[in-house]
Amino acid sequence: MAIHKIILASFIVYLMIQFSHGATKERLFSDLEKDALDVTAKPSRQGVLDAGIDKLSITWKLRSTAKKQANFTTIKVKLCYAPVSQVDRPWRKTENELFKDKTCPHKIITRAYNKSSQSFKYTLDRDIPTGTYFVRTYAVDAKDHEVAFGQSTSEAKPTKLFSVQAISGRHKSLDIASVCFSVFSVLALLVFFVNEKRKAKLEQSK
Amino acid sequence: MAHRNEEEGSIGTSMHGVTAKEHVFSFSDQGEDAWSSHSVQSDDPTAMFAFPVDSEHKAKVFKPLSFAKPHMRAFHLGWISFFTCFISTFAAAPLVPIIRDNLDLTKTDIGNAGVASVSGAIFSRLAMGAVCDLLGARYGTAFLLMLSAPAVFSMSFVADAGGYLSVRFMIGFCLATFVSCSYWTSVMFTGKIIGLVNGCAGGWGDMGGGVTQLLMPMVFHIIKVAGATPFTAWRIAFFIPGFLQVIMGILVLTLGQDFPDGNLSTLQKKGDVSKDKLTKVFWYALRNYRTYVLFILYGFSMGIEMTINNVISEYFFDRFQLELHTAGMIAASFGMANFFARPIGGFASDVSARFFGMRGRLWTLWILQTSGGLFCVWLGRATSLPIAILAMMLFSFGVQAACGAIFGIVPFVSRRSLGIISGLTGAGGNFGSGLTQLPFFSSSRFHTADGLSLMGITAMIFTLLVAFIHFPQWGSMFLGPTSDNRTSKEEHYYVAEWTEEEKLQGLHEGSLKFAENSRSERGKKAAPDGTSTPLENENPANV
Repeated sequence: MAIHKIILASFIVYLMIQFSHGATKERLFSDLEKDALDVTAKPSRQGVLDAGIDKLSITWKLRSTAKKQANFTTIKVKLCYAPVSQVDRPWRKTENELFKDKTCPHKIITRAYNKSSQSFKYTLDRDIPTGTYFVRTYAVDAKDHEVAFGQSTSEAKPTKLFSVQAISGRHKSLDIASVCFSVFSVLALLVFFVNEKRKAKLEQSK
Repeated sequence: MAHRNEEEGSIGTSMHGVTAKEHVFSFSDQGEDAWSSHSVQSDDPTAMFAFPVDSEHKAKVFKPLSFAKPHMRAFHLGWISFFTCFISTFAAAPLVPIIRDNLDLTKTDIGNAGVASVSGAIFSRLAMGAVCDLLGARYGTAFLLMLSAPAVFSMSFVADAGGYLSVRFMIGFCLATFVSCSYWTSVMFTGKIIGLVNGCAGGWGDMGGGVTQLLMPMVFHIIKVAGATPFTAWRIAFFIPGFLQVIMGILVLTLGQDFPDGNLSTLQKKGDVSKDKLTKVFWYALRNYRTYVLFILYGFSMGIEMTINNVISEYFFDRFQLELHTAGMIAASFGMANFFARPIGGFASDVSARFFGMRGRLWTLWILQTSGGLFCVWLGRATSLPIAILAMMLFSFGVQAACGAIFGIVPFVSRRSLGIISGLTGAGGNFGSGLTQLPFFSSSRFHTADGLSLMGITAMIFTLLVAFIHFPQWGSMFLGPTSDNRTSKEEHYYVAEWTEEEKLQGLHEGSLKFAENSRSERGKKAAPDGTSTPLENENPANV
């Protein structure tokens, strides 16, 4: 019985530790200062961009109306999903709790904060999925906590979005290998089958 | 000891049928060995085997570490083939986070593909029993492995949701190896230990669903490190299960043997195996109400197990904010519990049969499956990670052991239609999986947690059907055997599957032999009969 009590006790202790994590206040997106930075993201060409090939010209600059700029240490620039690309895809869901939020999973660049206007020419990564995007910059303090953000689109009615077409991931050599191995598999089976039938017939005729 | 029955044609010990006037079956009678002119072999034909065998040449012991022909070799080839197919069928699940970005999938697309991945096998499992009866277990297995390998390779072509769904559907057909595997073990091992043997074969095969959650991400990572982009790497990763299938197919054909006495084609040509009529075999399966009960019951043990294989990784990832590989590890441990859970279920079934006969087997099944459902409800309710993992492990044990217990019962439902009923029960598993994935996990109607609890409750309700399985010779959960002297004999039950005409031709002799061996299902009351096989050779505790 003693071992049962020990197991139960350790479980309860563990649970209490788990629950105590929830006691600290989670950092929320709604607490961040909105529109602290002016962000523009200009695609290199019109129409749907190709991942791995096309570029984005991204610029960001501190807005005069920003209040918390004393805390800014680093600027993180990220590629974010527009609402239309989040439909029926709960793994891209926007959540208020920052650690749960999955709107902006793709990192573009991280730079130290500088008051003057910054720019970066970003080539779309080859693992960017097909979708509609905008760019958001987070201003992060020394504790690596987000304090403010700015984005290339407006909040109420998404404008200035751009679309990306992912690479297919297919290769001709892969296709050929696939066909070869498939044919081998079927042929090997047939060879065995026909061979065995023939042997059995020979046995019978003996 | 020379194992003469290895090579095709040199059946050696099976003299029955050599005059081509008697009708015999694959389990040929060895009692009266009339051909003394061929006195090269010893007088005891059963000494040709590595293990003690019964009158049907089925092994009476189970030694998992042995690879001896034909029994243990068939066991290992069977379960590894099934294991490989489980790897292929669920290979996409741990890679879904990459695939959904490459193919621009929605939750609905992913859910539908999950349903499709288990639906194909409903039909292939139904057909598989008949295919094994016609082609033998070796070719049944090899056909599945080597004809579905092209589907696995064709993942390299997939460009959208429709293609993804079609390929997962076609790969899923190979889950019928479950039927060919349990058919193979059922013809190789005797009734007393069949629960344990099938439990091990089924359980170790099912483990593939867990192993794939670790294997595929690992292969994907290695290929990425070697230089491929993610959207190409996952396609290359699928070549691994494809290769495994082709290799296993070749091994099955070169190393395996259909029956203890030889291969099907040789036995048939020698007049040793009579081909039974497919329509008759099917008819006797459909006429037996127990077939339908087992179909539903397996849907709520194996069915929910397969559903969990498809959804559990994502569930832990989302609900508890875990890393992808952590969620994958937890998902893998669900499937890997099969290694001991299912054999324990089969073993529990066999042990309960020793004391309480068939009634013991039925109660064991009910207890295991109901507790599985109960823990599934708890899993859905759990809000903290350690409780959820505990609930999941208990849940996995319950349902997987229940799977083992069901297949301790299946071999006794029919002798003539064993293949078809195995297939139908197996198909029920896939049907249950599709049935539970569709309402509970493919729409946004329920949070996944509620879906899990509802699935558990549904499982507990349907498991009550076990009470309706009744054998006139052995009884059921609550009723005893019939008091009628004639119908309470095992022979009556099994021979009832043959018409008078067929009995005159002697086609039912295999069933008679089986009935004799099945007297063990009376539990402790079997001893006075004197015809049950002696216990001293049996050692099912070799797990």
